[in-house]
Amino acid sequence: MTHMLAVKAVVARELTKVFRQRARLISAMVRPMIWLLVIGSGVGSMLQGEQQAGYLSFLVPGIVAMTLLFAALLSALTLVYDKEFGVMRMMLIAPIPHYLIVIAKLIAAAITAMVQAILLLVILTVMGLIDVQVALWLLLPALATAVCCAAIGGLIAAWSKTLDNFAVIMNFFIFPVFFLSGALYPVNQLPDMLKYVVLINPFSYGVDLMKHVVPTANSDFSIMTDITVLVVFSVMAISIACWRFSRESVHEPLFHRATGKK
Amino acid sequence: MAYKNQYAILTKGLTKQYGQALAVNGLDLSIEPGRFYGLLGPNGAGKSTTIHMLTTMTSASSGEAWISGREVKRYPVQTRAAVGLVFQDSALDRMMTVDENLQFAAALYNLNKQQAEQRISELLSVFGLEKKRHQKLVALSGGQRRAVDIARGVLHKPQVLFLDEPTIGLDLPNRRAIWRFIEQLRKDEGMTVFLTTHYLEEAEACDHVDFIQKGQLQKGGAPKKLIKNLAAYMLEIDCADTEMVSQQMRPQFGEPLWEDQHLTYRIQDKETDFYRLQKTLGNAVNAMQWRKPNLNDVYLWTVCPPDYGVVT
Repeated sequence: MTHMLAVKAVVARELTKVFRQRARLISAMVRPMIWLLVIGSGVGSMLQGEQQAGYLSFLVPGIVAMTLLFAALLSALTLVYDKEFGVMRMMLIAPIPHYLIVIAKLIAAAITAMVQAILLLVILTVMGLIDVQVALWLLLPALATAVCCAAIGGLIAAWSKTLDNFAVIMNFFIFPVFFLSGALYPVNQLPDMLKYVVLINPFSYGVDLMKHVVPTANSDFSIMTDITVLVVFSVMAISIACWRFSRESVHEPLFHRATGKK
Repeated sequence: MAYKNQYAILTKGLTKQYGQALAVNGLDLSIEPGRFYGLLGPNGAGKSTTIHMLTTMTSASSGEAWISGREVKRYPVQTRAAVGLVFQDSALDRMMTVDENLQFAAALYNLNKQQAEQRISELLSVFGLEKKRHQKLVALSGGQRRAVDIARGVLHKPQVLFLDEPTIGLDLPNRRAIWRFIEQLRKDEGMTVFLTTHYLEEAEACDHVDFIQKGQLQKGGAPKKLIKNLAAYMLEIDCADTEMVSQQMRPQFGEPLWEDQHLTYRIQDKETDFYRLQKTLGNAVNAMQWRKPNLNDVYLWTVCPPDYGVVT
């Protein structure tokens, strides 16, 4: 493929930037730990002895999924960030089809998310919340979830023209997607209304796929359902994001603002 | 279709419409390879929109365009491979070094490590920026950043280089330096250069200039010829009673360009006796000077007064 070098360059630039910002990596580890300790212990304290320990390990897939969601969405945000700071034009003027920019960015988003998830799994293993085997088995469903989260991010980024817009959407998406996913509680016990929302949330199936691996967490759907939903959603979302991004009207504000006209 | 290959840039009725507004209206251009072409006009005249249509950054509402024989609309990726574009404001990543920026751009243009290395060294030495290579862009001056931007635009040795106001916002020494670089690149690589600017004196180095206003192209020509054809001298008069002075002048010198209390005349006759004229006008004038015309005058007389028509 003639554009391989370009795609690699976009991915590499993204990863270089992520790993230069050590603080971002550390804070990405602190967030799930706070959730685990505060929510896990707090909510857990309402439960009785045996259930209490169970709730902590029930939370593991949700916490890993949360890390993936934050990392992938923030990384996909660079599609908007680069537009805002003009660097996107360097990519738009390059002799590559524009959809490849989206693909490359989402590959970078998925890789970033996976790196953070792996770090978190190492910490969780050291803490003794999961054993090594489970941690290793979690990698595959984590990858599927990372791609799904990157796809959600790509979809949002393709529709956001400025960073403020993205920040708003992040708040409207990232929390609902996380809370309404079964990451914190079993789906089966939810009231009907809430349950339907969880069912149309593709992220739920990523969390569920991970629950299949963790022995103490009960899953809600079959592995087949999880994989099918994740694959179909990711392919569709990425295709739509690519299509949308290839339409030049999406970038026109960029050029008009850049040239100080209209 | 063979003749389309003869031109570096060819457009037929190229038009861009935003809602009701015509940003560019029926542009016909034919620019031969290796030429230095200037498109001149005020802000918002449609210069950038023209460049963006020719570089696939925006699509034309109607009309056609070819870059080195490639149809822009049908082959956007190939078109982008053939052109370099230096945007009006920087497209570089300020948080990365000069080298990282250029390496990134080189990869986008599918240059391998070795090619990129060689080309970047070559360009940085032309621009005298070897020492800045591993500094972050934020540490560079405006002129140096602009130079890096231009280097980015020509990394892949484009057939056609588009420069959208390349010296905007720079001080005079830096503007001069940027022009030396561009001249050097043209000499070394023989690329066609398409320039937009509103610093008109900078366009005097062009082989050919056209004017654009409100999206409408007005044919120009070679700057030297345009200037020569405009007039032998330009005569500027400051006076309180412009009405009276212009009446006095009309039989011999025709109509002036009128700005408040400032009248500018085109003087065709090389032998005009300005001292006698000065005596005749006497106290009616506050100041009077005559000088050689320049491209600014051509521009003012071509684009500004509709009733003066096109300078031939």
